[in-house]
Amino acid sequence: MPERPVFPVEHLVARVLLVGGLLGLTLISLGLGLYAAHGGFQGHVLALSPPVAGATPPGVFRSLRQIAVGLRQRPLDPLAVGALGLVVLMATPGVAVTLAIPGFLLAGDGRFALIATLVLTMLLVSLLLAGAVHG
Amino acid sequence: MSLTVFTVAVLCTSLGAGVVGAILGLGGGILLVPILTIFYGVDLHYAMGASIISVIATSSGAAASYLRTGLSNLRVGLFLVVATITGALTGAFLAGVVPTRWLELILGLALSYSAYTTIRQLADELPEDVSTDGLAIRFDLEGTYHDVRLQRDISYRARNVAGGFVAMYGAGVLSGMLGIGSGAFKVLAMDYLMRLPMKVSTATSNFMIGLTAAASAGIYFSRGDIHVLIVAPVAIGVLAGAYLGTQVMAHMRNTTVRKLFLPIVVYLALSMILRGLGIHLL
Repeated sequence: MPERPVFPVEHLVARVLLVGGLLGLTLISLGLGLYAAHGGFQGHVLALSPPVAGATPPGVFRSLRQIAVGLRQRPLDPLAVGALGLVVLMATPGVAVTLAIPGFLLAGDGRFALIATLVLTMLLVSLLLAGAVHG
Repeated sequence: MSLTVFTVAVLCTSLGAGVVGAILGLGGGILLVPILTIFYGVDLHYAMGASIISVIATSSGAAASYLRTGLSNLRVGLFLVVATITGALTGAFLAGVVPTRWLELILGLALSYSAYTTIRQLADELPEDVSTDGLAIRFDLEGTYHDVRLQRDISYRARNVAGGFVAMYGAGVLSGMLGIGSGAFKVLAMDYLMRLPMKVSTATSNFMIGLTAAASAGIYFSRGDIHVLIVAPVAIGVLAGAYLGTQVMAHMRNTTVRKLFLPIVVYLALSMILRGLGIHLL
């Protein structure tokens, strides 16, 4: 079987996963650090179950808009910074596949550009279906 | 529980889960959900939310390294993930229509057989013959990586691609219907059916699980199952652990990875059979 050098698209996807992971990690750590600096850890007993009445407890964000509100308010909500990091982490695999499409095209591999597009489409369909069911 | 104690304890636990997940191609949910619920008293919804983030974190941390070193095969991953996500969508629609207990029982028996085949393959370091599978050649489902432990380049090509694709679709259906992670099934299909080197199977599974988890992460987020103070130490610990795990796995033999994988298959087989009989471990 012919020897094939490691394909540049692999490096591109690896770089996106690394940067996305590190950015998410940094924001999550920053959020936790700011929360601790604001005294959030002092005497805080963590509620490990959702509230019965359906209210949203501190630390739970159900939409990007709620995170944006937390980031805009003064003083800043440190947990919104952590939530932003989690969103970055959740979006990272999708961004990697998105950038793999032009990567495959530039490498002249139209077949896998199509497969990556199919995967991306299915990810978006899953998100839309989830939104339709739970939104 | 005090937030400080919880954060430190979960961070350490997640570090271990990340190491194991990166080596075995699993998201860590199989370890984290029982630990968070039983030992830390976390509500199952929050534990599942933490689990889905741990899958993405393991995948991002491990696959970034594995893709760079050639252990993770991007083409095989993308090709098979089409089947897995299609299966998961099918499973989500079938949930509630098809009785799950029979499925769990069948899955448990299939996993028992997989455990048996894994035992038979325990001593196989690498697949011996070169594949001439038409689909593998057409879709370029092959690769080369440098094996640090064996100190040589290993070239491989997938076998029985059609069988692997169907198995991935089935794994996706079961995952969507039963709400279980499918990292273990992905590894089994690549190792047993497609005869990829075990380390390539777990490393490629690591890439794939991130994509399938990303497909459902939005559900957990919009449902409010992702609690920043619970998930943050999980994500930090798992990401760091996954990076450590890639360094450890690179120095392992394929046979060692398979031996470590076997207890997971046995556990899954037993838990599925018990669930099929109406006995839930969790």
